[in-house]
Amino acid sequence: MRDEEIDEVLKKAARAPDDLRPEMLQRVADSIKPSLCPVRPLPPTWVMTGGLVLVCAVVSFAGAARAGFFGFEKMDLLERLLIFPALVLLTWMAGSEFVHAMIPGSRRRISPGAFLGFGSAALLAVFAFLFRDYRTDHFFSVGIVCLLTGFLHAIPAALLGWLLLRRGFAVSSVSAGLVAGVLGGLAGVGVLELHCPNFEAAHVLVWHTAVVPLSGAVGALVAWTLRCRHRIRKQELGD
Amino acid sequence: MHLTASSDLRKHTGADNDCKKAFELMRPDSNLETLMTRYQQGDFGAATDLIERISPQLHRFFLAHSQSRTDADDLLQETWLRIHKVRHTYRPGEPAPPWFYAIARHVRVDHYRKQVRTAAGERQLEAMSREAVADPGESDSTDGLEALLAPLSESQREVIEMLKVAGMSLEEVARATSSSVGSVKQKVHRAYKKLRETMSTTGFRKGQSGEIL
Repeated sequence: MRDEEIDEVLKKAARAPDDLRPEMLQRVADSIKPSLCPVRPLPPTWVMTGGLVLVCAVVSFAGAARAGFFGFEKMDLLERLLIFPALVLLTWMAGSEFVHAMIPGSRRRISPGAFLGFGSAALLAVFAFLFRDYRTDHFFSVGIVCLLTGFLHAIPAALLGWLLLRRGFAVSSVSAGLVAGVLGGLAGVGVLELHCPNFEAAHVLVWHTAVVPLSGAVGALVAWTLRCRHRIRKQELGD
Repeated sequence: MHLTASSDLRKHTGADNDCKKAFELMRPDSNLETLMTRYQQGDFGAATDLIERISPQLHRFFLAHSQSRTDADDLLQETWLRIHKVRHTYRPGEPAPPWFYAIARHVRVDHYRKQVRTAAGERQLEAMSREAVADPGESDSTDGLEALLAPLSESQREVIEMLKVAGMSLEEVARATSSSVGSVKQKVHRAYKKLRETMSTTGFRKGQSGEIL
């Protein structure tokens, strides 16, 4: 059987009359009529993405201002010119993905999981290219502090981002949570790059980069938990 | 302007229901976008026009995935409530069908998860999977589409539904399903392969006038 024949069979089957009752349509129209009022559409994607990048920048600078810009002061020009533009670019991409996740029927260039992989790989590539000190002094004790610092700054960044896009509607809340986490994680990495003066390659590659997947995973987990709780509450109300 | 002209034309020609339906289908899809913008501005006429135009497609979409007409009716109503609640998330200029289908899909997945949670739902799913392996040739032609798509997986079925019933483009289906065009193409390819196998093994064929035998 050829594809054209299958096409024809499908088209013919699709043409069969749908016995959707007119009362049903009337009921739908009646149910929306009382609350029908003008609504303001969401702003363009670039405006919301710009807002998210700004939120991340503010969180990163506020965090570094409180802890000190020791990392930034220690960096040479090449390191500054590669790390911060790369972070801004990745944050813009994450922000754009987050906006798309909050608008139904948006064009998705990359899945949230793939973006997490791509973002982490891009950071690893930049760090591996720039940092060549292969010592591993106090690898765990210092590393855990950096991971926690980055993660603690990722939380407010992700929450503020969520607040900014609160008028959106996520058709997949777990995906949206994951991207929000990645976005927050990038703000956390920003704090670490501005603040942390430890330029050992292993430290930066492992502990600084790990903030992004950790935040992404926590974001997805929180979204999943909220969705389950919401469904249970709805079921209880229904019962 | 176009809407006024089209409604006048319909009035003056006095076409019967079938002709009206055909006329509706011929109208460019961009009208959906115009209606959606007017709906956002609080125009009840635009809202009812949208309900009339989109509901049959959405109902078909739900019928292909649920066991009963009652389920499909409930899902349709739930979808419209959701659409109404989040109508501000539609952005003028963007294609409207992927927006509608993305919400419909969300409602359907929500409903499916709810079903899975309950024991009754589990029993229904068993019945559904039994239906899915049933011979599509056994069904009569009135529910031909549902029978035809029964051997396909959920994701393949929804992609075929959107492409062949709703007449959406690959790009629009990709938007509605939050996936890439490549992934949609792959699903369509696999779905056609499965349909070809099923139709060949069950001796699925068409009569001279094109009806499904």
